[in-house]
Amino acid sequence: MAKKVLNVEDDADTRTFVTTVLEENGYIPIMAIDGEEGMEKARKEKPDLILLDILMPRESGIKMYHELKLDPNLKDIPVAMLSGVSKRTFLRSQAALTEFGDETVPEPQAYLEKPVEPEDLAETLKKILG
Amino acid sequence: MKISKILFVSEFEELWLDALQSLMALRKAGMNNVVFLHVISRDKVAMRRGAGYLKQEERKLKEIADIRFIDWAETLFEEGMEVVAHIAIGNIVPKILSVTEIEKVDLIVTARRKRAKFEELYSGSETSELLRRADKPVLIYNYLSQSGKVGENPFERLLLGLDWSVSSEKVLDYVLALKGAVKRVDIVHVMGEKDVAKISKMEAQKLERNNKKRLDEVCDILVNERFDARPHLYIGNTEEQIEKGASEHRATMIVLGAKRRSIWKEKWSGSVAHSLADKSELPILIVPTEVK
Repeated sequence: MAKKVLNVEDDADTRTFVTTVLEENGYIPIMAIDGEEGMEKARKEKPDLILLDILMPRESGIKMYHELKLDPNLKDIPVAMLSGVSKRTFLRSQAALTEFGDETVPEPQAYLEKPVEPEDLAETLKKILG
Repeated sequence: MKISKILFVSEFEELWLDALQSLMALRKAGMNNVVFLHVISRDKVAMRRGAGYLKQEERKLKEIADIRFIDWAETLFEEGMEVVAHIAIGNIVPKILSVTEIEKVDLIVTARRKRAKFEELYSGSETSELLRRADKPVLIYNYLSQSGKVGENPFERLLLGLDWSVSSEKVLDYVLALKGAVKRVDIVHVMGEKDVAKISKMEAQKLERNNKKRLDEVCDILVNERFDARPHLYIGNTEEQIEKGASEHRATMIVLGAKRRSIWKEKWSGSVAHSLADKSELPILIVPTEVK
């Protein structure tokens, strides 16, 4: 059975690009346009992988990632970040949240900085999902 | 009342990083969430004869905004703050109001906005329109001042103007919520020159005594909350006296309450808050009467 990938991304052009790569590689794309919708769909669809942008309306990818990793039902879903925000900032932000009294958050399975080539995205997906 | 989420409206040429950094003083008052909004004017991407809708231009402008927001957001994320962003195409005031509603922000931060002369004649400045329609407090920066720079902490020394209306109570509540970010509050009430001229000397003295008493009461409320607060009673033109008071006491921001009014009421009777928002060189915080 084809694996489901939830793509949380506010930019319509990037969503189209990711959907194309996912479909061409035999995955089922599920779309969410911000972190809030992303959390709803993650709970409802239980995807095999989440591709996550950071700077979005309503809820950032940083907050969503944090929520995912603290949710016992969702914490094992692999996450690949796909964002214009640097990996260094992402890691520092998670550390800052930890300093605010939460548990230590594990690193994502992959971190892709935009723009990403379709081959690199497909290879990352394959590496994580097999 | 709390101030945990702010909406930062930027057109980049008007509201820059120094304004955003100056708002970090609000972290001491509990602010931990910033919403960025950039609105691309429809004129910039509208249909052109022979060219159609300028999709390429839209992409370019969105990309520019995105890059700037990512740069700003990285600093805030690293400090453990939550940051979200909206990049939209359309008219600025309706977009500000809709994002205010979607994100449930506690404060709108923007720079003074002007319309074309012709448009302003009929509907006033965009700042006036925003103040008329917003049900959340609005902080307006003025980039037309000589220095063009924003002070490190505009919340440090507030000039709080009170007229004893319902909006005065709201604005006082709001200032109390800023505890931690504010060092000093100079509370000002202005007695109208004409009002005083109409009454006897005895009545004028009674009015003065009454106003001083009310100022002292407000001052006590603030001092009990550990603000450094001083009362000041002035007579004269309200706008002029507030500006004068702000200068005398080296205020870094003017804070006023304002009733939300219809465009026609605003046009004919005006309001001190709206007028100062259009003129003052200092940042000005306007708290509407109907704060949700």
